Amino acid sequence: MDQNFAAATAASADSRPRQRLDAALAQVNDVLVGKNRAIRMAFTCLLAGGHLLVEDVPGVGKTTLAHALAVTLGLSFRRIQFTSDLLPSDIVGVSVFDRDSGAFRFQPGPVFAQLLLADEINRATPKTQSALLEAMAEGQVTVDGASRSLPQPFFVVATQNPLDMAGTYPLPDSQLDRFMLRIALDYPDAEAERRLLTGEDRAAMVGRLSPRLDAADILALRQRAHAIVASPALLDYVQALVAASRKHHDIRTGLSPRAGLALLAAARAWALLGDRDYALPEDVQAVFVAVAGHRLIPARTLARDALAQALLESVAVE
Amino acid sequence: MKRRHAPPGTRVIASTLGALPFDLLCLTVLCVVGAHVPHLPIWYTATLAAIVVVRWWRRRKYHRRVPAWLRIVMLVAVPLAVVAVYGSPFGREAGAAIVCGLLVVKVLESESVRDARMSIGFACFILMSALLFDQSLPFTILVGLMLLPALATLRALEPGLSRSGWWPAFKPGTVTLAASLPAALVGFLLIPRLATPLWGAPDSGQGRTGISDRMAPGDIHSLLTDNAVAMRVGFDGAPPPEDRRYFRGMVLWEFDGRAWLPGAAARRPWPPAPVGIRDPPTHYEVTLLPSHRHWMFALDVPIDTPEEARMGPDHTLRSAQPITHTFRYRVESATDYRMDPEGLAPRLRAAALELPEGFDPRARALAARWRAQTGGNAAEIVRHALNLFHDGGFVYDLDAPPLGRDSIDDFLFDTRTGFCEHYASAFTFLMRAAGVPARVVVGYQGGYWNDFAHYLLVRQSDAHAWAEVWLAGRGWVRVDPTAAVSRVMLADTGGAAGDVGGGSISWWMPWRNRMDVVNRWWGQTVVGFDALEQSRLFRPFGIARTSAQMLGVALAVAVFLALGVGALLASLRPRAKPRDALSAAQLRLQRKLARIGIVRGHAEGPRDFYLRTATELPDLAPTVNKLAAEYLALRYAFPEPPPERIRVFVRRLRNFHPRRVVK
Repeated sequence: MDQNFAAATAASADSRPRQRLDAALAQVNDVLVGKNRAIRMAFTCLLAGGHLLVEDVPGVGKTTLAHALAVTLGLSFRRIQFTSDLLPSDIVGVSVFDRDSGAFRFQPGPVFAQLLLADEINRATPKTQSALLEAMAEGQVTVDGASRSLPQPFFVVATQNPLDMAGTYPLPDSQLDRFMLRIALDYPDAEAERRLLTGEDRAAMVGRLSPRLDAADILALRQRAHAIVASPALLDYVQALVAASRKHHDIRTGLSPRAGLALLAAARAWALLGDRDYALPEDVQAVFVAVAGHRLIPARTLARDALAQALLESVAVE
Repeated sequence: MKRRHAPPGTRVIASTLGALPFDLLCLTVLCVVGAHVPHLPIWYTATLAAIVVVRWWRRRKYHRRVPAWLRIVMLVAVPLAVVAVYGSPFGREAGAAIVCGLLVVKVLESESVRDARMSIGFACFILMSALLFDQSLPFTILVGLMLLPALATLRALEPGLSRSGWWPAFKPGTVTLAASLPAALVGFLLIPRLATPLWGAPDSGQGRTGISDRMAPGDIHSLLTDNAVAMRVGFDGAPPPEDRRYFRGMVLWEFDGRAWLPGAAARRPWPPAPVGIRDPPTHYEVTLLPSHRHWMFALDVPIDTPEEARMGPDHTLRSAQPITHTFRYRVESATDYRMDPEGLAPRLRAAALELPEGFDPRARALAARWRAQTGGNAAEIVRHALNLFHDGGFVYDLDAPPLGRDSIDDFLFDTRTGFCEHYASAFTFLMRAAGVPARVVVGYQGGYWNDFAHYLLVRQSDAHAWAEVWLAGRGWVRVDPTAAVSRVMLADTGGAAGDVGGGSISWWMPWRNRMDVVNRWWGQTVVGFDALEQSRLFRPFGIARTSAQMLGVALAVAVFLALGVGALLASLRPRAKPRDALSAAQLRLQRKLARIGIVRGHAEGPRDFYLRTATELPDLAPTVNKLAAEYLALRYAFPEPPPERIRVFVRRLRNFHPRRVVK
């Protein structure tokens, strides 16, 4: 019956990038078993043109997700392992003196990639963190006065350990705002865990993956996501949610206009993944906690995600 | 239960009783049983409550049903136990006990929503029946609050609500109950009342305390320890001095050797004895609580007769009907009077001197000695008797030893211990034996003067017995032989003993006396609001007496006014206006679905809602899916939905008729 329903509400948007997108989703789902929602969220973030923050305890598959994504999406991939002694130049690159030419030559850092895995981003000092975050916001880096554009698409997947763990520098709220979505992977359920234990080595699996999409596909899909219809009723709903976050008595700082834009973009991408050419309130609801959870600043000590959920449940839908 | 196929387009509601409604049902039944605790045997109510608790525990913890044989055993045991206790299944207490028991049996078999609904209806009725026993303000409030669990249960039985919390279940009932108070007030004031109750609360009369028609020493013992209110007396002017607060109830003429009885003299339709008044008469109003007897009490001695009462030859007031509900009457009394001073009629004189033969020889001998010493001077004989009680080693004690066949002799010469009945009885016997006409008067003496609200509160513990002797030239004179006794033993069990001047033992009695103001107001204004009071309701508007028709019209006007105000308030309430025809149609659909229990959540997305609806209405799923797809596309796929398609959608919606079936 669910299929009937989906078919009834679906719009015909089938074409080549669309089929490849499904294949890509299926491939990543094969590697990370039982993580359908988190993977769909990662694709949403990619198609909405944002950056993804994965927050969870070590060992639940954050890095595997990034690796699988890199291979499947067919993007150039670099990885930075953040440590407390990492310097900004280790990320963006340095100008080194070339004795042959007698001039400084720019040696690009790992940031010059299409998919960048910033592993354990909260282990680095704020100065180093901000170097990356600037690159994320601007889409370019400036070294020695010269601006250099980053390749397109540019998609950052950052991971971080929960903030109460030792040796971490929490990302400031203003920096967190630069991540479109924040997701958690969570422990697998019993069935998925059994498949994980009995299945083959994940690293080997990732090694055998083949690209299912390419940069051009992704850019095309991004355009298509942007063209998803957001009706006046839906925009009303997004506005009501943003407005409610600013009036809620448990929230000190509500959602910024940038957050509202991110919410709409993510909802559109989610609708695209749902094979629809218009966005529904359910799409907004699906991405709301991932968009708003890390952006809301609670007035008291409250779990941010729970706060976002409560906020969502307080706003009526048409 | 046989399963039937529901007709297409209907929603079959799970009939199994959920956890929350079951909890609330058990709480309701416990409240109902609790409301009946004061007048049912404690072991009976405790057993019923224990059965409910065990039933609750077993169903909630182990999901057990109660086997049919056990329910049948209970069904038989309840009437048997009641008959064993009360002797008959009829009467107020027995009836209440049976319905309480049956309610608990109903809970034992309640497994479905339908059972629970029936139980709640039954429980509300039984809860109200508790008001047959006690109509005081605190108890009425308590019963009103006990309705809340019943209302909460009904709310929790609504489909889709069984898993919500306690407060969502209690809130609507609480609000409804509060909102219904004005309507209840209007109904209370305006629903025409019958001049006499259609049915009176039956009363077995067994074990009731109250002054009986017979006085054998020991009878009033139980009254002395009973602090229940007997009556309240409001005076027009100042209250009479304390030593004149004797309330005459009945006069006992006849002694059979054991007990004093009203006798033939009290029943004869002779006119009241003439009374000479020596001070301005006292005007007052008595509010008598139900005694289930005919006696009406009046300050010694009443000189006029209230409506519906008859005055006996000995100036006692009797009502035509037993006093089964709170009864108010106005009387006029003279506290300084000469009753029948001219000369006692021979037939009354004979009645006031009659003694049974063959009883109490020692008392007769003592009386004969006094008569010889005084030469028949009645006043001297009285003085002799009072001296005997004062100096003869007599003790006032509520706990009087049992007396033998010659009860007067035993009391006067052996035990010398007793209370007002013993003294009044022995004194009157001595007077008659000495040739002085005498009789026993039973009533109340003393009372608590409430200075705040200006009325006299008389409790059952103020019950008293005294004597009257007829003296030539002075008529009937009140003599209180109990007052002559010097030694007083106060029983541990007793409350305020009216006999000895109302000394209060319990620390809380003063508070009880003060709180009585509220009870009085409640009793007079609310419980005592009868047809007569109702007919006076419109007096301030110049209508002397209202008829039932007039009240009916007033009630109808009040109801229409209330409905009008409600409708006005509802229309003034700010409501989200539908965006357009499409939204309006969608809201209508939601209302249709809400009527069959599919209520859209506050923040439930439209697609989620339709998916849920399709799951709950499997027969209608294709239609629901089609409607949903159409609505979602119109609402969310277009910046401006095409009006033609909206019209099609609205038409299709009109033909959608979901229904509900409760199994």
